[in-house]
Amino acid sequence: MAKSNISLKNRDILDLDTLSTEEINLILKTAGEMKNIMNRDIKKVPTLRGKSIINLFFEPSTRTRTSFELAGKYLGADVVNITTSGSSVVKGESLRDTLLTVESMRVDAIVMRHEASGAAEFAAKVVKPVIINAGDGAHAHPTQGLLDMFTIQERKGRLTGLKVAIIGDILYSRVARTNICGLTKMGAEVHVAGPAPLIPRELAAMGVTVHQRVEDALEGADVVDVLRIQLERQKKGLFPSAREYARIFGINKARLALAKPDALLMHPGPMNRGLEISPEVAYGDQSVICDEVQNGVAVRMALLFLVLMGGKNIEVIA
Amino acid sequence: MKLLLKGGRVINPATAYDEIADVLIEDGIIKEIGSHIAVDNAEIYEAEGLIVTPGLVDIHVHLREPGLEAKEDIVSGTQAAAAGGFTTVACMPNTRPIIDNSILVAGLKHRAQTEGIVNVEIIGAMSKSQEGKELAEIGDMLLNGAVAISDDGHFVNNARLFRAGLEYANIFGKRIISHAEDENLSSEGVMHEGAVSTRLGLVGNPSVSEDIAVSRDVMLAEYTNSLLHVAHVSSKNAVDIIRQAKKRGVNVTTEATVHHLTLTDDAVIGYNTATKVNPPLRSQDHVDALLAGLLDGTIDAIVTDHAPHAYEEKDVEYRYAPSGFTGLETALGVILTELVHTGKIGLMQVIEKMTYGPAKVLGLNAGCLKVGGKADITIVNPGQEWTVDSRTFYTRGKHTPYEGKKLKGRAVATIVGGKFVMKNGEVFA
Repeated sequence: MAKSNISLKNRDILDLDTLSTEEINLILKTAGEMKNIMNRDIKKVPTLRGKSIINLFFEPSTRTRTSFELAGKYLGADVVNITTSGSSVVKGESLRDTLLTVESMRVDAIVMRHEASGAAEFAAKVVKPVIINAGDGAHAHPTQGLLDMFTIQERKGRLTGLKVAIIGDILYSRVARTNICGLTKMGAEVHVAGPAPLIPRELAAMGVTVHQRVEDALEGADVVDVLRIQLERQKKGLFPSAREYARIFGINKARLALAKPDALLMHPGPMNRGLEISPEVAYGDQSVICDEVQNGVAVRMALLFLVLMGGKNIEVIA
Repeated sequence: MKLLLKGGRVINPATAYDEIADVLIEDGIIKEIGSHIAVDNAEIYEAEGLIVTPGLVDIHVHLREPGLEAKEDIVSGTQAAAAGGFTTVACMPNTRPIIDNSILVAGLKHRAQTEGIVNVEIIGAMSKSQEGKELAEIGDMLLNGAVAISDDGHFVNNARLFRAGLEYANIFGKRIISHAEDENLSSEGVMHEGAVSTRLGLVGNPSVSEDIAVSRDVMLAEYTNSLLHVAHVSSKNAVDIIRQAKKRGVNVTTEATVHHLTLTDDAVIGYNTATKVNPPLRSQDHVDALLAGLLDGTIDAIVTDHAPHAYEEKDVEYRYAPSGFTGLETALGVILTELVHTGKIGLMQVIEKMTYGPAKVLGLNAGCLKVGGKADITIVNPGQEWTVDSRTFYTRGKHTPYEGKKLKGRAVATIVGGKFVMKNGEVFA
């Protein structure tokens, strides 16, 4: 591993705004090494032996929680999952008190998902263990942003200069905000499109080009990132119907053809097949949706390693 | 019992008076204002280098009593007022129960007179339980001491009911105070909708929600030829709607809060719940428009919208925190620091907006210095530097967006009815 002066030791990972390009590059590079470990026959290494990680999830999650759990376990850490339905949160415990309880058990890192934007930053102010944001409301989901960058870089060899189209519900999407922030920081050109009521106000201030028509955003794209549409948004009157959404904004073969022939198709999951994405493209040649999941484990291994060990003990891995 | 305030710069906006002078107080009444007053047996207060103004008046506070004493009560709320230099406050009726009948008005008034250390005026609810369905007994409340009527905290969605309230309060020559927001547009919002809410992933409360509601209420006041006061105006278009209405002769007044005049939505970055308030802190263009409205007379009063909450209520995730924070103890210092010392507005005009202006809006006998009048006086040291520290607050609400801020200028004495209720930051219960 290359020597580097950058250290992420004890850093809270709350969003991509607060990571420099050098730090992001370090994480992506380390993730590549982690991916090699993941692909070994025997995956477990002792790097984080004696470290404990709590997955504190206030919202349902399959891939992120499992991914963090496996990432910690592959590196030899003890990982415990807390989900709110079986915790004192249902008894009315405040977030501060839940965090203090967890801290008192001397954990080294808290991986937290919460429905409120800013909850991760709140946690970082309240307790000492490293906080890794696994999604806070509509704000940020930094590991998703990192695994998407890793996936793009793996396939395209770069991020700079690529045209990335992000399609769908931007307003409520922490994935969209994180990817906009991370990709623009790394030099990609980001275009977004979706139903206007689901495009947040003054989005262009984040350095993206906003399109009314999805076709305009897709034109010549190197990457197409399709966001999940939640049906509750329709009930709120933000778009007329699932049927109309699929017809006007859904990514299908014809629309994907507007992008470059070798464009990557991404989706953070879980998908609504037939709504925001058609099955033929979701499982088609251009889809890297399963790569995203696999890379998610590697990126989370890299992050846990960097924040808990500061890049030391790499020799145990190599 | 005589008290002589000696050698201060006396500023009385009601008469545009600004002179170095003495003020003689006897038995709670201002006896004389003039230079070198000679008097025997008087307590002397050396006011040289200080500013002597009418007692500050805040027509928008929440004292939380009855029912919400974990947030504030009359004792702690009026102590906070005294500490901040306020001698008169008007409290909003959104307590538990809601102040929506004359017994509650009279009872609260009585308790305030017994336990409060500054003058407390009572604002009654416009609708029963502030539910926006039926009119409360507005006349009975106004005849028993209420000074205005408001469903503050809620917009009266039903235009017919709001019209009736305006027409009815007008019989008694009193104002309806409107909390103007279209809640269909704004109710899920936790901050101003704009570039910052987009970045933070917080649901936005759009300024157009306020514009629409202010338009409707101004139109109804004009149509019914009645008296309207728009609470906590915060959006640029709303300021202009009121400006144009005033030009047409509509009897509408409005107020701006200290925080809307001095903070932008950038303060929300970091998700500090002490910045959560309704209407929300808006972007710089709105803040600039409020200052312009203050300068050209569109905005009649500066208020605090002092809205304390118990510590634990605000110590939560941003979206779950209640709106509002404490303001009485920081208001004058913030205004002097941000608006006066920066040269944005003159001292006379600012004092007018914090004394005579608000008193006139509600028709209160307050906010001016006059011989023969009640001696409610605030003494200000405009150059005193201090740092906001909520631990020293008298209010129970410890959340303020100004925590840790260095300020220049504060009230150093507050006199109510000729008696000191505060000297050098210390309140006398």
